[in-house]
Amino acid sequence: MANFLAQFQSIKSSCDHLIIAGTRAHTKEQKKKFTHPSSGIKSSCCICNLNFHHECFPVEDVSDLWPLVKKGFEERLPFKRACLNNKTRNPVFVEKLPAEYILTTDARLRSRFPHELALFWFREPYATVILVTCEDLDEFKTILKPRLKLLVQNDEREWFIVFVSKAPPHNDQATKMAKKVYAKLEVDFSSKKRERCCKLDIHGLEINFWEDLESKITECIRNTLDRRVQFYEDEIRKLSEQRFLPVWNFCNFFILKESLAFMFEMSHLHEDSLREYDELELCYLETGKHRDFGGMDRGDDHAALLNPGNKPLMQIVQDDSFREFEFRQYLFASQAKLLFKLNRPFEVASRGYSFIIGFSKSLVLHESILPFCMREVWIITACMDLIKATASHYSDGLVAPDIEKEFYRVQGDLYSLCRIKFMRLAYLIGYGANIERSPANSASLSMLPWPKPAVWPSVPPDASSEVLVKEKMILQATPRVKHFGIQRKQLPLEPSVLLREANRRRASLSAGNVFELFDGRSGFNNGSGPELRMSPAPKAHAIAISRTNSTPGNFESSIDRPMRLAEIYVAAEHALQTTISDPDLWKSLSSLAEFEQKYLELSKGAADNYNRSWWKRHGVVLDGEIAAVCYKHGNFDLAAKSYEKVCALYAGEGWQDLLAEVLPNLAECQKILNDQAGYLSSCVRLLSLDKGLFLTKERQLFQSEVVRLAHSEMKHPVPLDVSSLITFSGNSGPPLELCDGDPGTLSVTVWSGFPDDITLESLSLTLTATHNADEGIKAIRSSGATILKPGRNTITLSLPPQKPGSYVLGVLTGQIGQLRFRSHNFSRGGPADSDDLMSYEKPTRPILKVFKPRSLVDLAAAVSSAFLINEPQWVGIIVTPINYSLKGAVLHIDTGPGLRIEESHVIEMERYSNTSENADCSKNDGCTVAEELTRMTLKDGRVELPDWANKITSVLWVPVCAISDGLAQGTSADSKTLLFWLSNPHLKFSALIDRTLAVHFTDPFHVSTRVADKCDDGTLLLQVILHSQVKASVTIYDAWLDLQDGFAHSGECDGRPTSAFFPLVVSPTSRAAILFSICLGTTVTKDDVKAMRSDSILNITYGITGDRALGAHTPVPMEPIGPEDAQRLTFKSAIVLQQPVLDPCLALGFLPLPLSDLRVGQLVTMKWRVERLKYFEENAVLGNNDEILYEVDANTEHWMIAGRKRGHVPLSMKKGSRIEISVLCLPLIAGYVRPPQLGLPRVDDTNISCNPPGPHLVCVLPPALSSSFCIPA
Amino acid sequence: MIVCVAVVGHQNNPLYIQSFTEADDALKLHHIVHCSLDVVDERVNNPRKSGPTLNDTFLGLLYPTENYKVYGYLTNTKVKFILVTTDLDVRDADVRNFFRRFHSAYVDAVSNPFHVPGKKITSRTFAERVSTIVKSFGLSSAG
Repeated sequence: MANFLAQFQSIKSSCDHLIIAGTRAHTKEQKKKFTHPSSGIKSSCCICNLNFHHECFPVEDVSDLWPLVKKGFEERLPFKRACLNNKTRNPVFVEKLPAEYILTTDARLRSRFPHELALFWFREPYATVILVTCEDLDEFKTILKPRLKLLVQNDEREWFIVFVSKAPPHNDQATKMAKKVYAKLEVDFSSKKRERCCKLDIHGLEINFWEDLESKITECIRNTLDRRVQFYEDEIRKLSEQRFLPVWNFCNFFILKESLAFMFEMSHLHEDSLREYDELELCYLETGKHRDFGGMDRGDDHAALLNPGNKPLMQIVQDDSFREFEFRQYLFASQAKLLFKLNRPFEVASRGYSFIIGFSKSLVLHESILPFCMREVWIITACMDLIKATASHYSDGLVAPDIEKEFYRVQGDLYSLCRIKFMRLAYLIGYGANIERSPANSASLSMLPWPKPAVWPSVPPDASSEVLVKEKMILQATPRVKHFGIQRKQLPLEPSVLLREANRRRASLSAGNVFELFDGRSGFNNGSGPELRMSPAPKAHAIAISRTNSTPGNFESSIDRPMRLAEIYVAAEHALQTTISDPDLWKSLSSLAEFEQKYLELSKGAADNYNRSWWKRHGVVLDGEIAAVCYKHGNFDLAAKSYEKVCALYAGEGWQDLLAEVLPNLAECQKILNDQAGYLSSCVRLLSLDKGLFLTKERQLFQSEVVRLAHSEMKHPVPLDVSSLITFSGNSGPPLELCDGDPGTLSVTVWSGFPDDITLESLSLTLTATHNADEGIKAIRSSGATILKPGRNTITLSLPPQKPGSYVLGVLTGQIGQLRFRSHNFSRGGPADSDDLMSYEKPTRPILKVFKPRSLVDLAAAVSSAFLINEPQWVGIIVTPINYSLKGAVLHIDTGPGLRIEESHVIEMERYSNTSENADCSKNDGCTVAEELTRMTLKDGRVELPDWANKITSVLWVPVCAISDGLAQGTSADSKTLLFWLSNPHLKFSALIDRTLAVHFTDPFHVSTRVADKCDDGTLLLQVILHSQVKASVTIYDAWLDLQDGFAHSGECDGRPTSAFFPLVVSPTSRAAILFSICLGTTVTKDDVKAMRSDSILNITYGITGDRALGAHTPVPMEPIGPEDAQRLTFKSAIVLQQPVLDPCLALGFLPLPLSDLRVGQLVTMKWRVERLKYFEENAVLGNNDEILYEVDANTEHWMIAGRKRGHVPLSMKKGSRIEISVLCLPLIAGYVRPPQLGLPRVDDTNISCNPPGPHLVCVLPPALSSSFCIPA
Repeated sequence: MIVCVAVVGHQNNPLYIQSFTEADDALKLHHIVHCSLDVVDERVNNPRKSGPTLNDTFLGLLYPTENYKVYGYLTNTKVKFILVTTDLDVRDADVRNFFRRFHSAYVDAVSNPFHVPGKKITSRTFAERVSTIVKSFGLSSAG
C-alpha cells in the first residue's frame, strides 16, 4: 500500500476543506443531468457537496436552482458553532467550520475508483443537498417524487431536500400551491425521527430557513463524520491487532491513522487529530528497528521540525519502513501544526525541547554515519526554528501566569541548548580562546563529549595557508589574564584534549587501540574519567604537543603524522562547511566577529527568557556571560551592571566560590569606570570572602587598593559598608553594668578581615537601647587613631554617662582616609563565623546595662541607742554599697546644732559584720575575715573611703560630742542630727547621696525623786531614783546632793550616802535608788534671796563600760590621760525640792445639785461656794485682793454653759468670807458624764481645799418624750 | 559516576559541596548545583506541579540535560541535597537509596553539638562517610 502514499499526500494537499454536494431537482424540465459519483445515478437534482475546510457537500441541482441560491448558500459559510462529535462521541462545538458546496457534476467527484474509497474516504462529500422546486402537485407526484426516491435510496450519504419556492408573494395561488407541494414533500421524505426537508422562499423572507439549513447540514456532517470515524477506527483496530505479525506493514497503519487524523483536522477537531498523531508516534517508536536512519541528504542538517511538507512522504519511506530521521521530524511537525492551530505555542516549545533532547540521543547513535557535527548543527537549527515559531505564535497574557513563566523557561532552555552547541562548533574551528572560561560555560561544555565521527575529518590538501592563519591565531591568543593578577587554574571548556581526541579518532582505524576500547565502554562519559585515570602519560604528551607544535614520531603508532591543533581546526572548519547547509549559520561561524554576535544573541535570548521565568539563577548567570562579552568590547557600563547582578545573586546566597570568580571582573569594570565607591566596595567584598579563596598576596593587593584609594584619590568622603570585613562583638561575660550618670569604659572585640595591619583614623561605635527605640542613638568614639591587626583586636572606648536602660552594640563606624566605613555585622565567636554571610543573628545580648536612679549606697547609724551627752562618743555610720563600687568616694560629715566632731582625733573605719555573718564564720573555722581597720583623719568635714571598702559594708566611727549646756533636768534622751553625704569625684553620682542620721545623746540616768517618808522630827527621806538610760553598765563611784536653800542634810553627813554602797554597778536600763536624809533648813533672810538657789543638785561620779557597737561607752580619750581618770565621769542633775503647804487658804465646795434628775436639754444650775479660810499673804502683794478669778471647765460636747465661763467675783480679804458662784448648764448627752469643774487659775492648787468635793460623774437622763420634738421647725 | 554532592541550606546557601572529579573544576559543579536550585525552587513554589510527590522528600530528576543528571532531595527542614551524576542511566531507586543514606549522614553531622546550625559542615567524619556512600552508589543494585 505504500504506493498509495504519493496519492495520499497529493490528495491531502489538494483537499483541505469540507465538501457538500448539491442536487437540483426540477419538475418541469431537466436541463442538466448530473452524475452522482458513487451511485452513478443520473438525476435532475442538484447535489451540493459540502466540504468543510477539508470536507465537501455535493449539491444535486435537479431544477437548475443552484445559480439562484448559490449566493445565499455560500454567504453563510463557514458554519458557526457547528456541533460535532469527537472521537469519544462527546459533542464539541466548532466555531467557524469552513465548507464548500460543489455540484455533483464537479470533476473532483468523478475520477474516483471504488478501491480508493476505503483509504481516502475522508475526502468524500459529507452530505448531499437536493435542491427542488415544483409548482404543481401532479408534477410532484408523477415526476419529482420517483426521481427523488431514486436519488435518496441509492445514496449512502446523508441527504436532505431544500424546496425552493419561486412563487411571488402577491400570487396567492402560486404560494398556496408551493405550500401544498412542500407539505407533500415533507410527508414523503421527512420522518418523525428526522426532518429532511426545508423550504426556501426566494421572494419571501425566510429568516428561519438559514438556521434550519445550517442545523440540518451540521446534523448531516455529524452523522457522516461519526460513520467515517467508526469505519477508520475499525480498520485501525484490525491492523493494530496484527502489529506483531510479520505481515504487518507500518505504512498501511500510517495511512489509515493519518487519514483519520486528517479527517479530524478537516473537521477542526484538532485535539482528536493531535491524539491520532501522538498515537502514531508512539506506535512508530514501539515498533522499534527501522532499517535506515536517514539524514544523509543535503539539507538534512537543517531541522525540519515545523515543516511537515519538507520532504515528500515517498522519499522517506524505504521498503515499507519510514526512515527515522525524517519521519519523526514529520510527525513532530504535524503535531506542532495542530498545536499552533490550537493556539498552544507553549506546548510546541516544551514538546519541542524534549523532542530535541530525545532526538539528539538518536543522532548520537548514528553519529558515525552522519556528516561531521551533523548533530550539533541539527540541534542549533531545530532550536532556532522552534524559538522563532513559538515566539511568533505566542502572545503575552493569554495564558495563566505559571504557564507563561514555564513558556519562557522553555524558550530559555532552547536558547541555552542552542548556545552550547554553537559554542562547541566554534571551539572546533578554533574560536575557543574567545569563549569565556566561566563556570557556566565550563559546566556545559566540559561535560559534553566531543563529536564522534567514524573518522575525524582530515585537512584538505590545499589548506596550508588556512593552517598558517589558524596557527597564527593560536599563537596570538593570549590566555586572558585575570584582574588583580589573580592566578587560578582555568576551567576546562573541553571534555578532553581536542588534539588527542581528534588524532585518536583518526588513528582508531588501526587495530589494537586500547583507548578506543575504553571509550567504547565508557559510553558518554565525559572522557576525563577513565581515560585520564588509565593513561596519564599520553595526556601529558598531548599537551606537550600543543605547546611546541612538535611532531613526535612515535605517537601512538598512527598511520600518518598526527594533526596539529591548527590543522584540526581547519579540518573541522572544512568538514562543517560541507555539513552546514544553512547559510546564516555558516556565516555566524565564518569569522570571529560573526561568532561573537551570534553568541551574544543566543546568550541574550537565553538570559532574557530565563529572567522572565522562574529560573532567575540561570538568567542572571547568563547575564554574566553577556557581561564578559560587553567587557571585551569595552562596554564597561553594561558589563558592570550585569556583573553586579551576578555578584548580588551569589553573595545573597553565600556562594563564595562562584562569587570569587565574578567579583574581580566587577571590580575591574568599576575601576575602569572610575566608580570609586563601587570599586572600594568590591575590594572590601573581595577581602571579606573566605580567606582560602585567594592567596595572601592577592588579598594584600586588595587591601593596598583600598588604602590607596582612601588616602589619595578620593576627593569626597565615601561611605562604605564593611559589615562583612570588620566585625565586632562585646566581650564575653556579663554586660558592663553602670549606674545612671556614671561614666565607664567599654571594651569591644573587633575582628579585622584585612590581611595586614590597617590604620583607622577614627573609630566609633553606637549603642542602641533595647527597649527604647525613640532614644537617639549615641556614638561613642575611640580617641585617636587605631591600628587594627588582622584578626582579633580589643578596643577600649570610654563611655560617657548613659541614660538608664539596656544597650546592645549598634553600628561600628570609622574612617580610613576619606573612606567612611560602617559595619553592622556582629560576630559571635570569631573568624570562623565571619566568613558566613548568611549570619542573620542579631546580638540580643546586651553589652551595657545602665540602671535607673536608685540608692547606690546606704548610710545608717550603727547604733540606735543613746550615747552619753557631753562626752566624745564614737558614733558609728554603716556605709553599705548597694551593688555599687565606692571606689574613691568621699564622705562628708556635717553636724547639726549642738554637735561637735572631734576633728583632731582619728576616725576609724572597719569592716561591718552583723551577727548573722559572725554566726557563719564561727561555724566555719576556715573562714578568716580580714579584719580591716583603717584610721583616717577628717579634713574639712571630708574623709576619703579606703579602697577595701569599695564593695563591702563598712562602718565608720566618728568621735562626736554632743554639747548640752544646761543641767539635766531628769528628762529623757536628747536627739541630735548628723548630716552625711557621700560623693565621688571619680564617679559622677547623678545625685549626691545625703542622709541625715538622728543620733541620740543622753545623760546616763534619768533622775526622779520622791519623799519616801516624813519623819516626825521633820527629817525627810528623799529617795533619788536613778534610771539608767544607756546600754552600758554604769558604775557609780560616788553621789552627793548639794541642797537648795531651805533644806539641809540631816545629821552630820555631807550629803553622801554611806560610802560602803559604792561603787554601785547599774546594769543597762535598770534602776537604782539612793536615799538621802534631809530636813527643812532655816528660812532665809530677804537679803539672801538673790543668792538663793532654787534647786538642789545631785552629783554623781560614775564610770561607764560599754561597747560602741551597742551604744554609750567610755568617752573617746581626747588626750592621753591615765586610765583611772578617764573612767571617772561626773553627772549632775538638778532636783527641785519644795516645802509642803500645810494650811490651804481657800475652800472650794460643790453645792448639791437640785433633786430633780438631770435631763438632756434641761437647764440646771451648778453652784460652787468659795470660802476664805485664812488671810493669804501672797495674794496681798498682787493687788485685786478682794476679787477672785474663776473659770469653769466643761467638756463642750457634754455641756453647754449658759453663763460666763470665766470671770471675777468679789471676795473679801477677811477670813471666813464666802461667795457662791452659780453657772447655768445644759446637759447635751445622756449618761454618766463628768460635770463642769470650777477652777481658780490664780491660786495655787495646794492652797485650795476642796470641801465638799464635787462628784466625779453625774447621771444625765435622756430627754423626756415630747411631741413638740416632732414638729419641724 | 557521581561527580558532585552538595548540601544546600534553607536559605539556598551552600553548606557542603564535594566534587568527585579528578580535574580541578569544582567551580563548574558549584555552578550546576547553584543553578539546579532554580528547579528546586520552582517545584517547591508550585505545588501544583509536584502533585502526587508533594510530601515526598525525593524531588527526582531536576532537569534533563544531555550529559549529566541532577537529582534533588528536600528535607523537612528545607535543606536540599543535590546530586550530580554523569551516569545517564540511573535508576530512581538507587538515587532514593543514596539520598536516604546521605540524609542520615547529614543528620548525624548536624547533630554534633559543636556544629553551628546554618553554617558549613566541616566535619571530616561526614566527608568520609559521604565519600563512602558515593563510592557504594549503584553497587547494591549491580551486585
